[in-house]
Amino acid sequence: MKKIREWFAGYLFILPIIIVVGVFVIYPIFASIYYSFTNYNPLRQMEYKNTFNLQDQLEQYLLIFSMKDLNTKDLLSQFDPADFIQTQLGIKLDKDQRAIIEKYFDSKRLMEDFVNLKTNKRMSGSQFMSEYMSKYKGMFSGYTPTWVGLKNFYQMMNDPLFWKTLWNSIFFSIIVTPIQTFIALLLAVAANQKIKGIKFFKLSFYIPSITSSAAISMLFMLLYAKPGIINRFLGFIGIPPVDWLSNTSTALPAVMAMNIWTTAGYFMIVFLAGLQNIPKDLIEASELDGATGWTRFWKIIIPLVKPQISYVVTLGLIGTLQVFDQIYFLIQNQQNYTTAMYIYVNAFNYNQMGYASAIAVFFLAFIMALTLIQRKVIKEESYF
Amino acid sequence: MRKWEIARKISYIVLIIYAIISLTPFIWALLVSIAPMNYMLDGKPTGVNIMQWPPEINIFKIPPEVFGAPATISNYGQVFTVTPYARWILNTIIYAGFVTLGNLILDAMAGYAFAKLRFPGRNYIFTLLLGTLMVPFPVTIIPVYNLLVNFNLVNTYAGLIFPKVASVTGLFLMRQFYMSIPDELDEAAKVDGAGIFRRFWQIDSPVALPAFATLAIYTFMGTWNDFFWPLIVTSNKDMFTLAMGLNYFRTSYYTFWQLMMAASLLMTIPMIIIFLSFQRYFVETSTSSAVKG
Repeated sequence: MKKIREWFAGYLFILPIIIVVGVFVIYPIFASIYYSFTNYNPLRQMEYKNTFNLQDQLEQYLLIFSMKDLNTKDLLSQFDPADFIQTQLGIKLDKDQRAIIEKYFDSKRLMEDFVNLKTNKRMSGSQFMSEYMSKYKGMFSGYTPTWVGLKNFYQMMNDPLFWKTLWNSIFFSIIVTPIQTFIALLLAVAANQKIKGIKFFKLSFYIPSITSSAAISMLFMLLYAKPGIINRFLGFIGIPPVDWLSNTSTALPAVMAMNIWTTAGYFMIVFLAGLQNIPKDLIEASELDGATGWTRFWKIIIPLVKPQISYVVTLGLIGTLQVFDQIYFLIQNQQNYTTAMYIYVNAFNYNQMGYASAIAVFFLAFIMALTLIQRKVIKEESYF
Repeated sequence: MRKWEIARKISYIVLIIYAIISLTPFIWALLVSIAPMNYMLDGKPTGVNIMQWPPEINIFKIPPEVFGAPATISNYGQVFTVTPYARWILNTIIYAGFVTLGNLILDAMAGYAFAKLRFPGRNYIFTLLLGTLMVPFPVTIIPVYNLLVNFNLVNTYAGLIFPKVASVTGLFLMRQFYMSIPDELDEAAKVDGAGIFRRFWQIDSPVALPAFATLAIYTFMGTWNDFFWPLIVTSNKDMFTLAMGLNYFRTSYYTFWQLMMAASLLMTIPMIIIFLSFQRYFVETSTSSAVKG
């Protein structure tokens, strides 16, 4: 009895998070896989949701100016339901749907309601269809995307822009992750000496990572401008001004530098915490053995902060592969998009949610494969 | 030990250089934000040239000069008049506040269940939940967006808040903390006749207060700064959050740098205050999360 009570409490406690994860993560994965085989168009979703006044629509369609002396029979001869739904209500129909409407649409009742002034009310396309279809109402309850099989995946394979964006994401990740890890470690080693004003340094390194990526993008948009401060500094050493963000060959590296700047300080704090756990005499002992700075760094410090390195590299890879915000603000040319950004524009700007979903599904498989490989590599390393 | 002295000197140089790199964008933004606004003359911006080089700065004058013009804080006021900035602050507080509240309650409940309660399938469910952390967000946005459209939740607070109201990362943090509390505490309370809910709420959770604080800070800051989700859910300017609103100062013809920098700094100040007030919790999470890796 007590046991069952504990079971019950356990399920009750985890129920909310299960619902949230189920609805907003697990269901979307399957829905994305389904969409990736269709030509899902978000604009068409609105066709069944837009509302209208039925009487107005019928009057316009049947060209009626007065509601007096109307005859159901005459009206019926002029009324073509499929045509009315398509041209007047703006709902696109395919062949099957048209055939079913011709068979099962209750035009007679609609015309009777119209003559008896029962149609003067607002309704949506799906309400209208469920009201006047005598059968197969479910077919018209909302927009169902058409199944297109592997078409989206073929399109993806032959889309040079997609491959370019995938390469950009990978490039971003393999350059940014090691550099930010190295800078963070270097700063942590430096800060681990007996340093005065360590609080100031920590705060100044940390501020970029607690600032919204939106605000940071704005700050850097100013810095990267052609007459901006970065070009002025480079001018000191004789480098001519570059329009960093408009130039396709410099835009991505510029955003990468900004990304390193944002995260290095945060990761430094992770390393510093790890370094402070290392007993001081261990480092001092190596000093007595005559180890110089670099050997000490590679042979003593690196192995001791291995758990932190793997944590930082994992977080770095996840973060950089999915980078979106900074790309959204700063990148102007499609050639410099990352995959996350390419999915976004396809779904929300070009209204090709089916195609976007295909890329998303590919991206999911790609990231999962990477994660599995990375786990294996890290596990093998720990045998040393 | 002369070597140590040299090492320390190099360390200082490294730290100072990086501190300069780290802070320069903010200082520059501050300078621009206090430069007087440009006005339009024949459709062309005239007045202060914020790209001027070198920036003529004179802090000994009253008022001080930036870019050769008297400094002013009126841009910070203007941000509130040319955009519904106060509304955006309210939206951001509602968004971040409710998401934080939801995470505190729901993540803690689930974390407690996974740490202290026994029920069939516990480990399977936990592994499944952890696995969802691998799913990159671009994969889920399209179906989630369509879900919100179907339930008429686009441009609503509910649409912003619900998908974020519980998180697996938070659950993991809370579970780790509850697991570190010795089981004897629970056993003793059980002997005293405390039910499950009382043990969760009155025995274990007060001990877990630091974990609650950490979770609250991280969730609040993450949501406050979040740009991606408001971008998907909001299109009506009255529903924008602060991060989303920044785009508003950039039109296709002209960028209002002074206002944009003022707005960017304004939304950063609360984060710096939170960081300074709760610094120890930041170090704590970075340590505890690193240990698991």
